[in-house]
Amino acid sequence: MLALAFRAGPMRLALPISAVVEVSPRRELRPLALAPSGVIGLLPFRGTLTPVVDLCRLVLGRDCQPLRSSRIIIIALSGKAGERLIGLLAEDVLDLLPVTATIPGLRLPSAPWLSDHLADQRDLPQLLDPSALLPDELEALFVAEAAS
Amino acid sequence: MAKSYLASRLTLLVAAFAGLFLLFGIVTWYTIDQVRVQGKIYEQIVSGKDLIADILPPPEYIIEAYLVTRQLNDETDPSKISELIERGDKLRVDYESRQEFWRRELPQNSIKDLMTVTAYRSAMQFFQLRDEQFIPAIRAGDHERAKAVLAQMHQRYEAHRLAIDQVVQQANQQNEAFEAKAKIIIANQTTLLIALAIAILAVVGFMAFYAHRSATDLSTRIKMASEIANRVASGDLATEVPVTTRSDEAGQLLQAIQKMTLSLRGLVMRAKQASIELMSTATEFAATSRQQEATVQNFGASTNEIAAAVKQITATSAELLVTMEGVNIVAGQTADMAEDGQAGLRNLDNTMERLAGAANTMAARLAAIREEAAEITGVVTTISKVADQTNLLSINAAIEAEKAGEQGLGFLVLAREIRRLADQTAVAKLDIEQMVKQMQTAVSAGVMEIDRFAEEVKSGVGNVVKVGGQFGQIITQVKTLSERFDAVNHGMRSQSQGAGQIGDAMGQMIDGARQTSQSLREFNSATESLRDAVSVLKQEIALFHVGT
Repeated sequence: MLALAFRAGPMRLALPISAVVEVSPRRELRPLALAPSGVIGLLPFRGTLTPVVDLCRLVLGRDCQPLRSSRIIIIALSGKAGERLIGLLAEDVLDLLPVTATIPGLRLPSAPWLSDHLADQRDLPQLLDPSALLPDELEALFVAEAAS
Repeated sequence: MAKSYLASRLTLLVAAFAGLFLLFGIVTWYTIDQVRVQGKIYEQIVSGKDLIADILPPPEYIIEAYLVTRQLNDETDPSKISELIERGDKLRVDYESRQEFWRRELPQNSIKDLMTVTAYRSAMQFFQLRDEQFIPAIRAGDHERAKAVLAQMHQRYEAHRLAIDQVVQQANQQNEAFEAKAKIIIANQTTLLIALAIAILAVVGFMAFYAHRSATDLSTRIKMASEIANRVASGDLATEVPVTTRSDEAGQLLQAIQKMTLSLRGLVMRAKQASIELMSTATEFAATSRQQEATVQNFGASTNEIAAAVKQITATSAELLVTMEGVNIVAGQTADMAEDGQAGLRNLDNTMERLAGAANTMAARLAAIREEAAEITGVVTTISKVADQTNLLSINAAIEAEKAGEQGLGFLVLAREIRRLADQTAVAKLDIEQMVKQMQTAVSAGVMEIDRFAEEVKSGVGNVVKVGGQFGQIITQVKTLSERFDAVNHGMRSQSQGAGQIGDAMGQMIDGARQTSQSLREFNSATESLRDAVSVLKQEIALFHVGT
């Protein structure tokens, strides 16, 4: 199994590749009027407008650096009414890592989306749980929209 | 007393006038006697007029017309008849014109009434009968009727004749009255004439007597005036003129002589006084001119001293001139030295400029290097873009391969290789980028250094130029100094010259003073002459005797 490695500020993170639909270069996004905190715009993707969330803003409270290695990771969220595509803007989206052994991470109630660390990597990247990633109000919004 | 010339002349004049006046009176009386009414000439004129009146048929008395009418009654020859009618017509016209004349001329009295009313009326009736009845009857040859008309006409004629007789009678009475009146007038006038002549002769005689006496008196007094004038002429101004109140010419003359004598007396007295004053003035003149002479001599001495002082000034200014020339030479040397310094600076300036040029060239080359580095950066950017795309592709390929499961394993390996290659490229890119950055930094530092150096060179050049300018100013000032020295020299020379001129002028002034002294001496002698002349004048005035 492989994991897509990236970074949010000083934090080295990873997503299991099965959760990733595609990696897209950072592009001009369609702006969203009166968007909730963390949502930076809409990305046209495969015939739909996908809402894009800035991961750095979500995790650190600041925007991702405007570097070429800052890319949009498109993931699929499965809810009650079906699947919903979400874009995550992250830094240093450059590498794929093999997942061989994991170390259980410290689970914080304020950050329920952080799960295990990859054991055999140098700086122990921490895996993300995409289902717990979005705050409740965002998830409710996106899922309700998908349902309608 | 001698016989008065004026009186004898006057007497002669009166005698001549009286004689001629008598002659005039006699001639006048004779003339009046000759032409008086019923005198000789009057009688001759009247008899001439009577003669004419006796001969001519009177036009105002229609007797001729009456006679012609009667003649017409007896006449049978037609040519004679028409001739007589014509004559009668003419007589009527004559009568009427004369009637007009008398109507105008006669004064309004009984004669005029008889003449223009009574006589005229019957005459006009006569003429009317003749023209309206008698002439047509004659023309028709009706002698019976003519005779009857003629009888009527005869009555008119008689009435007319009676009136005319009365006129003649009254006119004769009037003429006699006129003649008597004229006689009386002439007699009265002749008496008046004689009385007037006697009166005139008496008045003339009296006037002659009075004029003779006045002339004698006048002559006496004029002679007195001439005697007084003679005495005044001989210098005796003390003569008293007898006072007279009479305002005739002789009185006026005596008064004028009196006034003249008094004025002359005043004038001579004033002249005497004036000559005395003149004498003292002349004496004062002499004293003053002597003082002035002394002053002028003093002035001459002072002038000599001034001339000596001026000569000393001239000598001093000549010495000063020599000193100034020395100073001028030193100033000239200073200027030369300053010029040398300026030339040296000019060389330094050139060198500095070349240095600045070299620095500029170097800066330009460094700029070229910087541009090339920028190009390298562009290439590196392109490489990094390609590496980025490659990386993205490999990631997406790996994701797809993972989803494909067992079938995608080979593909996954390939994707990993591609990603590794892209990473190596990225490292190479990083190296190049770093090198280029280092080079750019080095070049920038070099450019900055060169710029600083160029700035310093520029400021050095500026300083050199400034120092050169200061040297220039020094030279200019030294030159001006030299010019000023020239001006001072010139001034000194003019001063020296001026002092010489002053010396000359002083000499002339001394000469002038000498001349003035000479003139004063001459003036003195003139004053002496004046004094002599005044003495003479005094003697002359003493001749006039003014009295007390």
